[in-house]
Amino acid sequence: MARVLMKGNEAIAEAALKAGAEGYFCYPITPQSEVAEYLAKRMDEVGGLFLQGESELAVANMLFGAASTGKRVFTTSSSPGISLMQEAISYMAGAQLPCVIVNIMRGGPGLGGILPAQSDYFQSVKGGGHGDYRLLVLAPSTIQESVDLMMLAFHLADKYRNPVMMIGDGMIGQMMEPVEFPDHYEEPELPEKSWVATGAVGRKPHVIKSLFLDPYMLEKNSWELHEKYDQMKKEEVRYELYKVSAKNKIMIVSYGTTARICQTAIDQLEKEGISVGMFRPITLFPFPEPQIHKEAIKKNINDVLVVEMSTAQMMEDVEKAVLGKKPVNFFGRTGGVVPAPEEVKEQIMMLIEKQKKTKAKKKA
Amino acid sequence: MNLSAMRFQPPAISGGIIIIVGGYGSGKSEVSINLARYLVTSQSETTGPVSIVDLDIVNPYFRSREAAKELEKLGITSVNPSGGQFYADLPIILPEIKGTIERREGTVVLDVGGDDAGSRVLGSLANAFEGAEYELLFVLNANRPFTATAEGCLKMMSEIETASRLKFTGIISNTHLLEETNEETILDGLRLSHRVSDETSLPVRFLSALENILDEIDPKLIDVPVLPLNRLLLKPWE
Amino acid sequence: MDQQNQTIFARPDAMTETVTHYCPGCTHGIIHRLVAEALDDLGVRENTLGVAPVGCSVLIYNYFDTDFLEAPHGRAPALATGFKRMRPDMVVFTYQGDGDLASIGMSEIIHAANRGEKFTTIFVNNTIYGMTGGQMAPTTLPGQVTTTCPAGRDVSRTGYPIRMVELLAALATPAYLQRVSVHTPQHIIQAKKAVRKAFEYQLEDRGFSLIELLSTCPTNWGMTPSEASKWLAENLLPYYPLGCYKDFDKAEGDK
Repeated sequence: MARVLMKGNEAIAEAALKAGAEGYFCYPITPQSEVAEYLAKRMDEVGGLFLQGESELAVANMLFGAASTGKRVFTTSSSPGISLMQEAISYMAGAQLPCVIVNIMRGGPGLGGILPAQSDYFQSVKGGGHGDYRLLVLAPSTIQESVDLMMLAFHLADKYRNPVMMIGDGMIGQMMEPVEFPDHYEEPELPEKSWVATGAVGRKPHVIKSLFLDPYMLEKNSWELHEKYDQMKKEEVRYELYKVSAKNKIMIVSYGTTARICQTAIDQLEKEGISVGMFRPITLFPFPEPQIHKEAIKKNINDVLVVEMSTAQMMEDVEKAVLGKKPVNFFGRTGGVVPAPEEVKEQIMMLIEKQKKTKAKKKA
Repeated sequence: MNLSAMRFQPPAISGGIIIIVGGYGSGKSEVSINLARYLVTSQSETTGPVSIVDLDIVNPYFRSREAAKELEKLGITSVNPSGGQFYADLPIILPEIKGTIERREGTVVLDVGGDDAGSRVLGSLANAFEGAEYELLFVLNANRPFTATAEGCLKMMSEIETASRLKFTGIISNTHLLEETNEETILDGLRLSHRVSDETSLPVRFLSALENILDEIDPKLIDVPVLPLNRLLLKPWE
Repeated sequence: MDQQNQTIFARPDAMTETVTHYCPGCTHGIIHRLVAEALDDLGVRENTLGVAPVGCSVLIYNYFDTDFLEAPHGRAPALATGFKRMRPDMVVFTYQGDGDLASIGMSEIIHAANRGEKFTTIFVNNTIYGMTGGQMAPTTLPGQVTTTCPAGRDVSRTGYPIRMVELLAALATPAYLQRVSVHTPQHIIQAKKAVRKAFEYQLEDRGFSLIELLSTCPTNWGMTPSEASKWLAENLLPYYPLGCYKDFDKAEGDK
């Protein structure tokens, strides 16, 4: 297929169709309403289901019902709407239902604003609803990557029988970039969905539930889920290294749109003879903890700099990964304010100054 | 005056009410901003005072209002919500907008939101347009999913006419793939614009493209006037 | 077959042999049976999905020989919507109490009914939260004593009980809305007809159907089963009149 120019929100919608999504449920919210508007036209063309629900609460529960058929289904929303969906997300995680949820994040807390933010990191990766569960969380930084990860999201949801969340800030949803779609999504074979609730024909009834009145059964279910999350940690960690070399003195850790801004800063600094590398997590759960640790403890690295559009949320996971072996610094803008490459450069220059002083002190 | 502007024939637009519509993401805002700049710098004898009105009620980001400061430096009045409302996704139609259209003085470039959904707002201003002479221009980008074919463009144009209660007067060929745009992209797009022009009997009023790409194209290959573009609505890392 | 030993009454195929957890005199058992008999009569057991509520009937899936989903409190109509839209070929029903449907799930039921979702809702109204120990429900009668209105429901503070079928009948879309009761054998026969008709309407693709069944809760009402039936007849029937509030056929006739 030829390259087309698409808005992130439209590309995400089209990618879902390419991955075989047959049902989409939605409630309007800025900055992701284009997904719904795009699919309101496209779902009819491909014979899938488009349904606008009465609230995000209902939409997430419609997704629960729809996922029980074993068909690929998804929803998209933005921060306040995702908060309302947490009930059903917890139930679906507990009942081990595959589905895909996209959060095009805006500034919060509360009604917040409509401009880009990454302040739903905790909500996404630490479990936004109640109970012992995790979502598999993917974070694209380009529109093409949004397409690729959206298709992967459906595969991973089926592979693990778990809700998968893709998070992008408002910029990912709203900006346009040229993208390419495969004619059809090639994916490794998946086991048959023997658990679906599509009629007790010649078999015992299937009950899809998260209720276990016996505490020992509930505990067993929770540990089974935990094992699944451990398997994700072993098999699904994804990340990208940008200009990482032995010449780096500083390693940036950043994801999504912020990583794009950091790339520009890194490229500009390179021209000025300053070498900085970046570690960009693509999966936020499982978080690339050992991989970040390995990069951070390298001899040439004096400082780690976390850059995100929040007041230091992913920062906590990076600190946990680095285990105090190197100083972990933070630079963040939030509330819809997007950092400029110049601001990132400034932070790096400050770190370099600090490093020089420390070196001078040591010599003295 | 830049190189491209000298090599190509400039758009034959001298002012008045110019309404820029088209599909989502066809590039209406960049075209509107650059057209306003062109009018104020090259056509100042005929335009009178130039203002640009951001009528985008569908897009929350990358709207022409983001270039307001730059435009005001050139003497272009930018009609936008002020204060915190500048950032809102509310459908704010300022009373000044109607006034600006009704006054019939000077030149107004209206940057309208995408698709028929974005054009509905023009219907609400129908009274102001009554009896007015205007240009309603369709921004065509052949690399966008719903306007990749002549049929797609005709369908969208008819939807926009219904929603806006106005009639098209021309087409702007603005086919691009952002940083991946090349000569072929532009010429393919122009071919589609001509096809749509043949079907609708509407003229291709001009072609718009980034200046650095235009610089490398043989002027003979482009048989319509050209508006060179300078991008003002940039991504944070650009 | 031996004429003397002919089976004249048996457990419906759509029910399992599991002994229910319901209290003596509770009418959930009767209503479960009415639903199971309708599924048997229509021959759709293997093609049916039930959606369980949160409430006393939360374990309903143990008693039915059909596939089931366990919904979050009040959201059964949203789950049923999602499921049925993906599998229009299946028979789908929600089974909900008055707290689940008329309080926390009010929004979901109204919108599902108004979209004309093609599933059936079995709405069991016993005017009280049974599962959590007898708290006030939106359907609790004026003056009725519960643990959260120990002096009796005071309508000046909590408003009047909600009449759900009347409320839903204000919508243009639903196909069939009827209120029945199960406190006497005669009423049970009428209720059975209504439940069956609701499923028939679903099979005929006519749209949303809901049967409200007035029910007793001897345990939380603090009455013997027979006292509870009498109390229902004397107190619930006057406030919640039985009858058909919406019928697709009649509505068509009106046009």
